Amino acid sequence: MSDTRAAQSHKAKKLIERMSRKLNRQMAGSLAACVHCGMCTEACHYVLTNPDDPTYAPAYKADRIRKIFKRHFDWTGRVLPWWVGAKTVRTDAELEELKDIVFGKCTNCRRCSINCPMGVDYATFNRMARGLLVSVGIMPEGVAVVSKDQWEIGNQMGVLKEEYIDTLEWMSEELSGDMGDPNAVIPIDKMDADIVYSINPREVKYDPRTIADAAKIFYLAGENWTMPSEGWDMTNFGLFSGDDDLGGAVALRLYEKVSELRGRKLVISECGHGYRSTRCEGPNWAAHTVPFEMESSVNTMLRYIKEGRIKVDKTRNDVPVTFHDSCNNARSCGLFEEPRELLNLVVTDFREMVPNRSENYCCTGGGGAMSMSEYTPRRLKSARVKADQLKATGAKIVVTSCHNCVDGLTDLIRHYKLGMDVTQLVNLVANAVVVPEKIAVEKPAESEKPAAVAVEHSLEAFKILVVDDEDDIRLYYTVLLEDNGAKVIQASDGDEALKLAKSEKPDLITLDLNMPGKDGGQVFEQLRKDPELAEIKVCIITGRPELRRLIYDRPVPPPEGFLDKPVDDHALLLNIRKILEVG
Amino acid sequence: MPEMKKIRNCELRLIRQDITDFEIEAFVFYARPDLELGSGFGSAITRRGGPVIKKELDAVGSLSITEAAVTGAGQLKAEYIVHAVGPVFQEERTEEKLHATVLNALKKAEAKGIRRIAFPPMGTGFYGVPLAASRDIMIRAFEAYLSQGGKMEEIVICANDLREYRAFQGMFH
Repeated sequence: MSDTRAAQSHKAKKLIERMSRKLNRQMAGSLAACVHCGMCTEACHYVLTNPDDPTYAPAYKADRIRKIFKRHFDWTGRVLPWWVGAKTVRTDAELEELKDIVFGKCTNCRRCSINCPMGVDYATFNRMARGLLVSVGIMPEGVAVVSKDQWEIGNQMGVLKEEYIDTLEWMSEELSGDMGDPNAVIPIDKMDADIVYSINPREVKYDPRTIADAAKIFYLAGENWTMPSEGWDMTNFGLFSGDDDLGGAVALRLYEKVSELRGRKLVISECGHGYRSTRCEGPNWAAHTVPFEMESSVNTMLRYIKEGRIKVDKTRNDVPVTFHDSCNNARSCGLFEEPRELLNLVVTDFREMVPNRSENYCCTGGGGAMSMSEYTPRRLKSARVKADQLKATGAKIVVTSCHNCVDGLTDLIRHYKLGMDVTQLVNLVANAVVVPEKIAVEKPAESEKPAAVAVEHSLEAFKILVVDDEDDIRLYYTVLLEDNGAKVIQASDGDEALKLAKSEKPDLITLDLNMPGKDGGQVFEQLRKDPELAEIKVCIITGRPELRRLIYDRPVPPPEGFLDKPVDDHALLLNIRKILEVG
Repeated sequence: MPEMKKIRNCELRLIRQDITDFEIEAFVFYARPDLELGSGFGSAITRRGGPVIKKELDAVGSLSITEAAVTGAGQLKAEYIVHAVGPVFQEERTEEKLHATVLNALKKAEAKGIRRIAFPPMGTGFYGVPLAASRDIMIRAFEAYLSQGGKMEEIVICANDLREYRAFQGMFH
C-alpha cells in the first residue's frame, strides 16, 4: 500500500520514464517469463559461494527490476499489483539499493541466462537497469571515472593521444631492433590497409608487450596492416555501464576511423567485452551498417598458421597450460573452438578446465567489476569457484583471450595463492613463431617461457622504495625488482615512506594509496612539495583506481606512473623501466 | 571542412578537436560544483596543464550550478579555462540551467577580457544532455549573449568526434 503514498523522487520518475524506452521484445519477454523454478541459482558463481544468502540468486535479483516493470508496464501489475508483486521505486535510497544489486552482485556473465529453461536473459535486463541508474547519476564511482574517460578522452583508461603514439613508437623501435629490419615498424594511419588493428588501452598502459607481440606476428606474416591514431580503443564501457549512448559513440568512433582509412578488415585484439561490443553489439548501439569485416585476432593468427604465412614451433611453449573462456567471447559470441585450435598448434600440453566453453565460470572480473573496488571482497569471495576450477587442471599457466579476465584471474590467483601465471594467445604465438633465417638477428636466444620475465635492461643502478601496507605485496615487488638488479627498500606506511625517502633518496618510489595513517595521496603531495624530494620519480600502484583523482587533483606535478592492482610481473617491470628510461 | 557563420560581430565555428589540446584564448570546462577536475577532460587538463590550475581552483572553492570561474591554463595551449558548472543527469530544469550556464561562462570570460573562446558540446556525453538539445540551447544562449552587446569575437565549438560534429552542424544550416 505504501506504493502509492510517498512522493516519488525526481530520479525515480526519470528512471521509470526511461525504462519505457528500453523495453524491447527481448527485454519484456525476459521480464515477464520467469517462473521461479530456481534453475539459474546453481549457475551463478555468487550463489555457489554464498549459499546462505538468497539475495545473490539471479531470480531474486531479477525480481528487484521485474517488480518495477510489472508496476508500470505490465497490465497485471498495473491492475493487481499486490497479486503479482509489482512495486514502483520511490526514493533515491531505493535506487542506491538497486545499484548495489545490479553493479555489486552480478558480473553480467550470462551463465544464468543460458541455464534458464524459460529463456530469461537476466544479464540483459540487469545491464538495462545499470544504464537506467547511470542516466540519473547513480553508479559506483569507478564506473563514473571510467565512463567519463571513455566519453571525453576516447578510451576507458584515460590514455592521452601523445601517450598512445609514444607507446606505439616505442614498440615499433623494439620490433625493428628484434627483427633487425628498419622496415619492421608499426604503421600508423596507413591508408588502404588490409587490416586495421585495434587494441585495449590496458595494452598501452600495462602490457605493451602484447602490442609488440602482435606487431611481430603481422610483420612475419607479411601483412599489409596499420593501427589508427585515434578511435583505436575497441573496448566499450557502455557494455558494462549499460549506457547505450556511450556504447554507440565508442563503437562509431572505431568504425568511422576504419572507414576513413579505407581499411578492409578490422581486427580486434584479444578482449572479450571489446570483441562483443565491437563486433556484435556496436552496430546496433550505433545504428550503423559496418562496411568492412571484423574478426578477433585469434582468428587472424589461426589463419596465418593454417595458410603457412607464419611457422610455429610448439615445443617453445612446453609448460602445462589451461584455457579460460571469457564470458563475452564464449557465451555471448560463440568464440570458443578457434582459441583451442590455435592453442593446440602453439603449446605441447593443453589441459581443459571443467566446465568449459559456454558453461565456463566467470573470471569474476567481468561486467566492469575490476573498476568497482567497493565490491572487491565480494568479488574475491565469489572467485573461489574459479580458483577451484583452475587448481584442478594442474596447469602452470592459464591462457585467456580477454584483458578483463587477465586482471580478474591474476587477482584471484594471488588471493588464493595458486601460483599460476596468466597470459594470452598472442604472447604464446609470438613465442612460438619461427623467425626465418634471413631476418633473424644474431642475439641471445629469447626467453623460453612466455611468462618468464626478460632480464635485459637491468635495474642494477637504481634504488627503489616500495611502499605498501600489505606484507605480501611488498614482498612480491621487492623480490621481482631485486631479481632484476634493483636495490629495494621498503616502507609499510606513509610516515616511514617519507622518512626513508629523505634518508635514502631513492630513484623511484612505488606508492600504494590506501594505507592506514598518512595515505598515499598525502605522502605524494609532501614528496612533491619538498624541494629535496620533488624530483624522485613516483609510480602509484593502487587497488582503487577511482582514487586517481586524489592524486591528479593535488596542486603538484602528476606522478610519472599510475598502475592499477593487480599488477603482474611484466606490467610492473615494463612501467618501471619506462619511468626510469632503462632500455 | 570546418563550419562557420557570423552572429553579429562574432564568428562562430565548429571543428573536430580535443578541446584540452587547442590553441585558443580560453576554453570552457564542464565542471563539478566542488571544482575537482576528476577524470575525462579534467584528467587531460591536470596532466597536460600541470598543478597550477588546481591551485587556482582551490582558491575559488566551490560554485553553484550555472556559475562559472576563470583560471589560468598552466602549460596547456590555451591561456585560460572557464570552469562552468552545468546541470547533470536529467536533473530538474536542465534546459533552463544549461542556458544560464553558457551565458554565465561567456560573461565571466568577457569580464576577464577574453574575446576568443571554445566550448565543448555542453553537458553531452557522460552527463547525458542529448546532442540536439545541447546544440539548440547553446545557439540560443550565444544569440542572447551577443544580442545583449556581448563582446566575444570568436566562439569555437570543439566536437570530440564525428557524431558530435554532425549533430552540431545543425547550428550552421
